[in-house]
Amino acid sequence: MLLLDYQNVLIESLLRERFAGGAPVSIDQVVSDFDGVTFHISTPETKTKILISIAIKCFSELVQYGAQEVLEREYGPFSIAPENGYDFSVQVDLETLPDDPDAKEDLIRRISLLKRNVMAAPFEQAFDEFKHLQEEASKYTSESAPQGVLEGGEVRAIHYREEEAIYIKASHDRVTVIFSTVFREETDRIFGKVFLQEFVDARRRAIQNAPQVLFRNDPPLELQNVPGVDRSGSNQIGYVTFVLFPRHLAGQRRADVISHIQTFRDYFHYHIKASKAYIHSRMRRRTADFLQVLNRARPENEEKERKTASGRTFRVQG
Amino acid sequence: MASQTPAVVMDNGTGYSKLGFAGNDSPSFVFPTAIATKGPTGGAGGSGSGRPAVANKPSFLTGGAGPGSHLSAKRGTEDLDFFIGDEALSASGGPGYGIHYPIRHGQIDNWDLMERFWSNSIFKYLRVEPEDHYFLLTEPFLTFAEPLNPPENRENTAEIMFESFNCAGLYIAVQAVLALAASWTSSKVQDRSLTGTVIDSGAGVTHVIPVAEGYVIGSSIKSVPIAGRDITNFVQSLLRDRGEPDSSLQTAERIKEEYCYVSPDIVKEYARFDREPEDRFKKHTVNYPNGKSVQVDVGYERFLAPEIFFNPEIYSSDFLTPLPNIVDTVIQTSPIDVRRGLYKNIVLSGGSTLYKDFGRRLQRDIRHLVDARIKASEARSGGAKSGGLDVQVISHKRQRHGPWFGGSLLGQTPEFRSYCHTKAEYDEIGPSIVRRFALLGGPGST
Repeated sequence: MLLLDYQNVLIESLLRERFAGGAPVSIDQVVSDFDGVTFHISTPETKTKILISIAIKCFSELVQYGAQEVLEREYGPFSIAPENGYDFSVQVDLETLPDDPDAKEDLIRRISLLKRNVMAAPFEQAFDEFKHLQEEASKYTSESAPQGVLEGGEVRAIHYREEEAIYIKASHDRVTVIFSTVFREETDRIFGKVFLQEFVDARRRAIQNAPQVLFRNDPPLELQNVPGVDRSGSNQIGYVTFVLFPRHLAGQRRADVISHIQTFRDYFHYHIKASKAYIHSRMRRRTADFLQVLNRARPENEEKERKTASGRTFRVQG
Repeated sequence: MASQTPAVVMDNGTGYSKLGFAGNDSPSFVFPTAIATKGPTGGAGGSGSGRPAVANKPSFLTGGAGPGSHLSAKRGTEDLDFFIGDEALSASGGPGYGIHYPIRHGQIDNWDLMERFWSNSIFKYLRVEPEDHYFLLTEPFLTFAEPLNPPENRENTAEIMFESFNCAGLYIAVQAVLALAASWTSSKVQDRSLTGTVIDSGAGVTHVIPVAEGYVIGSSIKSVPIAGRDITNFVQSLLRDRGEPDSSLQTAERIKEEYCYVSPDIVKEYARFDREPEDRFKKHTVNYPNGKSVQVDVGYERFLAPEIFFNPEIYSSDFLTPLPNIVDTVIQTSPIDVRRGLYKNIVLSGGSTLYKDFGRRLQRDIRHLVDARIKASEARSGGAKSGGLDVQVISHKRQRHGPWFGGSLLGQTPEFRSYCHTKAEYDEIGPSIVRRFALLGGPGST
């Protein structure tokens, strides 16, 4: 598994099983997802009505960047008033499902992508803004451009974890996405550095049209005026910057880019952990080899001094 | 509790792994503890299977260490090319992948594979960042091969959980104790004690485990080589003897799960079948993928199959002790001051204890044994009267995934986190910290 899935596997398999028919059962499960997201899947009224609710830490920020519209677009008829303690709820009635299997599959897919879609809102907004700025900018030369067009729009900050955030900024020729990452563990920090170096180098080596990736320990210039950014320059926080160019933001790519970039942090941490697992297995292998060498180094039959019961020894004459 | 992330409960058994979040009443995922990796099958868990080789090994080190795997030559992402669970089973059907079972007889046998199994469980299925969650893992107390689960296994588990995954906190619980905790949902249980006898019957083997105050009495554990697989085989042989049109293992298993129950008395049950055949005899329809279907008669095996627990001689010729006698022996060999508690709280766990009236029959048979013994000793003592002994077998709704559910129950309690060892404690003390855990759900907690 190289990439993480974007959808929640449990929701997907649960809905697929329910949609396939069979006797309705009552469900009541609280499920976690990455970044402290909590889902609650339940059948509160009748067994045929499945309610799926999501609680996400930065929901108020996401609403500010247009999450409601995105959710309305994706889940329109299914969305209902949010369950108590959760931010957004969708309800599916098994009795009024579409007959077409493709439509069913589409519905499963859309609901299992709930987290992705909630988080997608600020990205979509930024991409739209980029488009707008691009059109604006094409009217001017670089000297005559008025304020606001040249340096781009505001920075959208999403504090999706306790200490980490995503910053998105649209300009007239690109969209910049910045992740702040915190490492508590010394080992992880080193792994992370090596791993990110690969990202930075990838563009240079093989994949020319990959987005540009930058990694640094102090906040990049884009975040100059953003409140709440740690400027102490401590080694613990790193900033990973993705620069998305117009070719990444066009057509079908757009949705994929949003999916990919959202899972970046989890992907990053998953690979750090997988690398550690790989190194551990090599360490185990090495230990087994060394033990084998040690075993072979043992003399075959050690001559022990034999004693009689009274403690005297015999010496072989010769 | 909204701000706290739920604890992750993972019960990795020999056959199936149960994964989920504390507080739920059923595991989110149940799939085989299997992992499919590139390359040939590892065979009997040999030393070299599934491990990537060390690159550029000096030649004096390589000799005898098994053939170096081709992985060492490639510096890519081959170590991530694997599947677990049901996907592993289907992948191993195709070319290129070999299937491995990292747990044997309840104990982890190949740590490399287990580490990767966990990695995929956490990131692909549960989708959690281990740094944000506390983990509750289970371990068996006993195995066939060795009398005890060596504490080094716990240490290895802790090394993986803390060093590879940086999980926030870890608790390792004994499966039998969790099975006891799972029975607290039954209305028959008045006091939430951790004293009782656990009868755990899965696919391969049935264990009878006495637990006193949360501690397993290791010397008294007994295993019975009769479990789910044997019942399936027995049903299959009955179907074959009758010459049914379909006597495959799958059909036998379906019949076992759908129609079998425990009868109070075989002779009477035979008579009842003859008296009211239309109620008792069933027909099972087997549908084939090609659209055809056949009908299989289901007869006396409905009550005969689970009967092998109580009268093993109808199935096996080498193992002849009925389950109630085993339970009685286990309790009689336990320390005298806990026997009353062990008789009073006999808890069922595992898929092969789900037959209707299994608990009732077991309770009756054990009570007969106990009453007979009390009567004999009363007669011997000449006139002294015994106060009697309460025998109670507890069946409950969560029997199938008993240990997992017990873990879910204990993992959602507010004090759970204080029982865990945290990453900081691990860094301070080292792997040996997990040799001891405070008893979760024991006296003093709610």
